[in-house]
Parts: sequence; C-alpha cells; structure tokens
Amino acid sequence: MNLAFALAAAVLFGTGAYLLLNRDLVRVALGVVLISQAATLTIVASGLSRGEAPIYPFDDAAAGETSDPLTQAMALTAIVIGFAVVALLLVLILRTVTAFRSRELDEIASEEAARDAELEREDAGEHDREEAAAE
Amino acid sequence: MSALWISLVIPWAAGAILVVCDGRRPAIGWAAVAAVAANLVALVVLASEVLASGAMSETTGDWPLGVGITVRADELGILFALLSSLAVLAALIHETLEGCHDRVFPGLTVLLTTGLTGVFLTGDLFNFYVFFELAMAAAYVLSTYGGTRRELGSALVFTTVNLLGTFVFLLSVAGVYHVTGSLDMAQIGERLAGVDASTAVLIAVGFFVAFAVKLGLFPFHFWLPTVYTGSGPAVAAILSGGLANIGAYGLLRFGGELLPAELELAAVALIVLGSASVLYGGLLAISRRSAGEMLAYSAIGQVGYVLIAIGIGGPVGFGAAILYAVVNALNKTLMFLGSRMRGTLVGAAFALGALSIAGVPPAAGFVGKLELFRAVAGEPVLIALLLLGSILSLIYAFQIYQFDFWRLEREGAVGHAGQRAVVAVLALLVLAIGIWPEPLLALSQDAAEALGGSGS
Repeated sequence: MNLAFALAAAVLFGTGAYLLLNRDLVRVALGVVLISQAATLTIVASGLSRGEAPIYPFDDAAAGETSDPLTQAMALTAIVIGFAVVALLLVLILRTVTAFRSRELDEIASEEAARDAELEREDAGEHDREEAAAE
Repeated sequence: MSALWISLVIPWAAGAILVVCDGRRPAIGWAAVAAVAANLVALVVLASEVLASGAMSETTGDWPLGVGITVRADELGILFALLSSLAVLAALIHETLEGCHDRVFPGLTVLLTTGLTGVFLTGDLFNFYVFFELAMAAAYVLSTYGGTRRELGSALVFTTVNLLGTFVFLLSVAGVYHVTGSLDMAQIGERLAGVDASTAVLIAVGFFVAFAVKLGLFPFHFWLPTVYTGSGPAVAAILSGGLANIGAYGLLRFGGELLPAELELAAVALIVLGSASVLYGGLLAISRRSAGEMLAYSAIGQVGYVLIAIGIGGPVGFGAAILYAVVNALNKTLMFLGSRMRGTLVGAAFALGALSIAGVPPAAGFVGKLELFRAVAGEPVLIALLLLGSILSLIYAFQIYQFDFWRLEREGAVGHAGQRAVVAVLALLVLAIGIWPEPLLALSQDAAEALGGSGS
C-alpha cells in the first residue's frame, strides 16, 4: 500500500462521509458511491505486486514472482456489488421522493417525529386517565 | 452432491426463479416456503453429519486447497444457519397465510436465506462479504415491504446506515488481505497472530463497527427502532431473528477465531458497551406502550448480553454468548410474529416469550441467563447489572402483556389458524429448550470449544 493510494482512498472516504451527512437525498447516494469507491481502491492497493502473469499451473521455470491476481478479482466483485446496491439505493430514493414529494431528509424525519409525538401524547393521556381512575 | 452444496444451491436457484414471479399468487408463496424448508432439511442433515464426524470443508470447482474458495461447516456456523433458516421459514409461512401484497417478497426471502446460509458456511473471507451483501441487498428491499411512506422512510435509514457498515467491513477485509496475503479464514487466524498490534487493532475495530451496526448495539443502534417498528411483523421477525444473527456470528467468528488477542485487549470496552446497551434498551422499552416498540428497544438490550459474554471470553463466555444469541433470536421471532395478533393462544405464547426475555423458567431465556451468570461469576458489578437488566425486562415485557391481553387494548386480527399454529410451534420450541436444554447447551459449548476460546 503506497502513500498515493492511501491518500486517494482517504480523500474519497472523507468526501463520501461529508456528503452522507447532507440533507439532500441525492447527495447521500453520491456519498455512498464515493465510499464504495474508497473501499474498492483500498482492495486494489492491498496487494500491489509486479511479476509474471498468474496463470495456473505455475511454470517451474519461471520460479520468480507472479503478480497477485486475487486483488483484481476482489476489486471487480466489489465494483459489481457496489454498483448493484447503489442502483438499489437510487431506486429507493426515487420512490421516497415520489412518496414525500421532497428531496429533503428533514421532511421525512419531521414526519416521523410528528408520529412519535402523537404516540407520546396518546400514552400520556392514557397514563393521566389511569392515575385519575386510581385516585 | 453433499448436504453442504444442496443447502446452498436449492434456495439460490429457487430464489432466482421466484424473484421474477408474481409473489402475490399463493402458489409462488408456497413454492418459496418449500424452498426454505428444503434448505432447512439439508441443514439438519448437514448438522447431523457435522456432529457425527466433526467439521467438514470442501473446495469449489475442484481447485487444490488454497486456490479455490472453501465452504466449511463447523458447529458454530451450522447452529446459526439452522437458527436463521428456521426464523425466516416461520416468518415466510406467517406472511404467505396472510397473503403477500408484494410481487417480490417470497423470492427475496428465499434469496435472503441463501445469503444467510452462505455467510455461516463459508471459510473464505471475501466470499463471506459476497454472501453478506446478498443477504443485505434482499433485506434492503424487504424493509420497504408495505410501501407506505412510513416504511419507505425507515427503509432509507436502514439501507444507508447498513451500506456504510458493509463498506467499513470491506475496508477491514482489504486490510486483512494486505497484512496476511490470504483470504482463507483458517490461514488468516494463524498469520494474524504475528501481525503487530496497532495494525491488527485497526482491522478489528473495523470489523467490530460493521457487526455492531448489524446487531444494533449501543451506540450504533440509532437506526433500529425506526426500522423494527416501521416494518410489518414478518419483516421485523426476519430482520431480528435471521439477519441480526450475522452480527453475533461475525463477532464470535472474527473476534474469537481470527483476532483473539485483540478481543482480549478490548474486553473491558466490550463489556462497557454491552452494559450500556442493556441499560439503554431496558429503560427505553419500559416507556413504551405497544408491543412492536417494546420489542425494538428490547432487541437493543438483549444483544448487550451477547456482547458482555463475548467480552468475558473463554469457552464459558463464548458458550454463553452463542446460547444467548440463539435464544434471543427465537424469542424475537416468536414475539414479532405474534405482535399484531389477538386471542388466547397468542396471549399464552406472548406470555411465554415475555418469560423467556426476562429469563424466568420454564422458558428458554432462563437457560441463557443461567449460562450468563455462570460466565460472570465472581464479578459482583456484572452480576448486579444482569439482575437489574432482568428486572427491567420483566417489567417491560409484562407491562405490555397487561396492556394487550388483560385490557384488550391490542388492535389486530385473531389471525389465520395456520398463523396461530406457527406462533404455537415457536412457543413450544422456546418451552422445549427451557425444559430440556441439554442438546443446545452441548452444541453451543462444542461451538465455543471449536473457536478455541483460550481467554480468561
């Protein structure tokens, strides 16, 4: 893992985390995209090596270094999985936006807060009635 | 074809086909039930083989060992696989009897079973991630089941938080590969022992955060109440009885087997976090008046016990953690499935589940609590905490019982006869484990031994 890779992954992750904290749902999705790229880059960087083409079975003659094929395979898999889950997240956001008619997380959160407050009020009312009945 | 392959291939193929069928038709629902049941039967056969002849592993595609991906079945993996499959099957039968109102519910549930089975039965770190993502992707869609604004809002939170968790996990996987050059869990365990402590601790923290998010441990719990109360009974049962097992299994497998030294280093931190979960979940559950909300906060409290037991470590601690995780998943499946049904039978099952959550005989929870007390013996502070937690859970569980069944405040249908039967079967299972705990006790202790718990 060399410094360039480490810096690039760190910047990607940091930017992604910043976007993830945004109120706008589309930016949240972009934050997830950047973080997934940071993970992929880290995988690529985790096994950098130079050498012969890694074709099985190994030639005894070329007993030198073979380059590491596993990181490529893992990175490809991670890219595909990341792509799939980001597509899923975007569809979910699309459905949320059509249902709430808003891209702001605040509005979704405020609806939930209102529901919780309503429950609290009901419970408090119940409690008061019980107290009165017990008197 | 061995039972190991059959248990993976059947739900995989069936799920891929069923997911494109119209799940609102009862036939498709029952086909999904059949697929999950076949998976469960294969796992039972596999479990009997593992118990008879010890752990088994196979390599995919006839590659030599060390090149191909290994799948393996040992006591720990098979126990969690059985448990998750059972929880998902119960929830799926419950929902099929109700009548699905979503095209993809049955197919996705079968795919989720595939993901869970794969996670528990793989011996390869990256393969673990792939199956983990398969199960999670299915769960993201399932959490929107119902499709009203409330479910969409909670599904959005669930998906975002858990995606972040899985990418943190992936970063740790990359870290492990970088320092060990291997993806085979057995090899990693050997090679990580020689890695310097600071690197290993960073990797361990990444794994811990990822699994703590899955479990909903304090302070990673903030998404959980919204999701568990926002989704219907079947989805909540699948998430808490099936999916959350990944968290417990991951902490045990990665902490106990791959990073035992780091686990011992962090023992105090784990016990503190576990205690915080127990108190937080218990206190907030007391302030709730509906079964669903109480269960959501109870889930946070109950996983705290698992974390405390893991923090104590050693064969006794790991054994207690495994047993408690199993019992807790069964409790939650039972309670969530019955959470919107009325009637005497459901009332009795709910009472039994409440006893089990509080750890009172004759329910299974008593056995779990007993093992926990055995694990913390000699630590007065922890014994006091467990007692306090038990008292809290007794109060919140029976408070809800009083509201729902004595005052008949519960809204909901009496339910289909079949649904009542599912709840009754789960309740009988909880009762049976409580009355005759030896098989499960022996299995969880074997699994703990297999982890090589050499702790205090």
